[in-house]
Amino acid sequence: MTTPSLVIGLGSPDGGDDAVGLLTARRVAGLRLPGVTVVEHEDPTGLIDLWSGTGFAVVVDAVMSGASPGTVLVMEAGADGEPLAETSWARTGRGGTHAFGLAAAVELARALRRLPGRLVLVGVEVETVEHGSALSAPVQAALDAVVAAVVALVAGSEAVVADVSR
Amino acid sequence: MSHKLTDGGQVLHVGTLARVEGEGGMHIEIKDGHVGTVELRIFEPPRFYEAFLRGRAWTEPPDITARICGICPVAYQFSACLALEDACGVSVPDAIRTMRRLLYCGEWIESHALHIYLLHAPDFLGYPGAIEMAKDHPAVVERGLRLKKVGNQLMTAVGGRSVHPVNVKLGGFYRMPTVSELKSLRPALERGLEDALETVRLVSTFDFPDMEQPYTYLSLRPEQGYPIESGNVVTTAGTAFDVQDFNAHITEHHVAHSNALHARLDGGGPYVVGPLARYTLNFDRLSPLAQQAAREAGLGETCRNPFQSIIVRAVELVYVFDEAIRIIDAWRDGVAPSVAVPARAGQGFGATEAPRGVLFHRYRLDGDGTILDAQIVPPTSQNQPSIEADMRTLAERWVELSDHDLSHRCEAAIRNYDPCISCATHFLDLTVDRS
Repeated sequence: MTTPSLVIGLGSPDGGDDAVGLLTARRVAGLRLPGVTVVEHEDPTGLIDLWSGTGFAVVVDAVMSGASPGTVLVMEAGADGEPLAETSWARTGRGGTHAFGLAAAVELARALRRLPGRLVLVGVEVETVEHGSALSAPVQAALDAVVAAVVALVAGSEAVVADVSR
Repeated sequence: MSHKLTDGGQVLHVGTLARVEGEGGMHIEIKDGHVGTVELRIFEPPRFYEAFLRGRAWTEPPDITARICGICPVAYQFSACLALEDACGVSVPDAIRTMRRLLYCGEWIESHALHIYLLHAPDFLGYPGAIEMAKDHPAVVERGLRLKKVGNQLMTAVGGRSVHPVNVKLGGFYRMPTVSELKSLRPALERGLEDALETVRLVSTFDFPDMEQPYTYLSLRPEQGYPIESGNVVTTAGTAFDVQDFNAHITEHHVAHSNALHARLDGGGPYVVGPLARYTLNFDRLSPLAQQAAREAGLGETCRNPFQSIIVRAVELVYVFDEAIRIIDAWRDGVAPSVAVPARAGQGFGATEAPRGVLFHRYRLDGDGTILDAQIVPPTSQNQPSIEADMRTLAERWVELSDHDLSHRCEAAIRNYDPCISCATHFLDLTVDRS
């Protein structure tokens, strides 16, 4: 039994591995999980409106933290959690526009008291974000694990691939 | 950070500028109370973008060049379209030009709302950034987010996506939005117009350093309306020329400390493109509502204080909301979405007003439409010399300030220009695939 939740895939559909959030969202949407709303989104500043008023949201995004490509990183970032650390991998994503990326959206929402009670960020380490390229082999290979992590989260379990390092 | 030189001088150095797009820094040397070297340093590697375009088909640049910037892709698409249509001897019908203007309104709303509220306002309200500002001024930040959201909605309705539009093609659009789709945006645009007017009132209360720029201003000026998606070039020096003569007047050159080219106008000193230039050269073209908002904010018909660019952006927000509503109200269904643009040998030129200033494209094609040569002159590279000149003026005036305060003020002066370093260096992640 899943709890009502929102899954947001963030990224660019033609930016190589930057599409991983969108592709994950599409796969999760295909599962038609009860109580789970799934959206694909490109602009980090729009996240606040998307997740505002939601009790539980999961955001999947591509990150560039220096880990091995395809590594799946999971982090709690909701209103009940601590602010993102300066060294957090969530600060190393593609960044959106004008230095306003996922981490900025999280902290701006926290300041505006518009974070979901529970927000989980799922990051997938990229190999390439070159325009027009396909998903890299490591990220393609990780896609099943990313989807499984999201499904586990919305099912109320902890993500089995979790690397909870902040 | 700052450090003392062995000869008694002092270096003020900000390694990475915050709240700008891309990687840049600033470097100021002060000795005996006098300002020496002043540099806006741009670290992002140039992507040799023009070289990449050579050999591609004439239909490709609108899509490919849009990837240079996440905040002004429409500017790249339409400057490319104008230049390539010019090369092919095609002029699109007025209806297509109008729809381009509407999409461009969406980009201006997105860009100006983001810059005013999330990047620039913290400088005036005394916060290190929007997150800290939001804790004390949540309603202000919420208004900014609301404005940006309307821009996203407009971009999505006309362009097909909120960030990189997919509905634009050479010769027009893949499909035209319907009257019904556009009308559904009207309530959000009306609310946005109110928010834009409130934005002008808010930013007009900020405290602005007293400063007048002596530089030449350069903008487009179309036959009608405020310059957005077309126009010829005009300057406050009294010169006026067609976009095709851009290279006869503007020269670009390398400087050692920047990976972006610097530009000069007619061999002279710095010149400025962007909101202040557009406003000063086209005040008469603003809508009555935007003119009234400007006057109530205390602006005259010209504005030469770079810090007041935040007011001018707010006035331009009023204008583009007004303009978007006007276009939507007049729109009728049944317009052909595009015209054919068959390839031919030739050269073409195009310029539009990106939110941060004139963006020029030039392409030379062979008979089958293969691109032989391409040139892109983005606004931030044109503004670099004037940004540095502003920093010098301010550093000289405020040399007695602490390093921290001087750094902060100079960073704010850079943000007056809403610089886009990704554009300046033509930053682009691309896979070269010639198969």
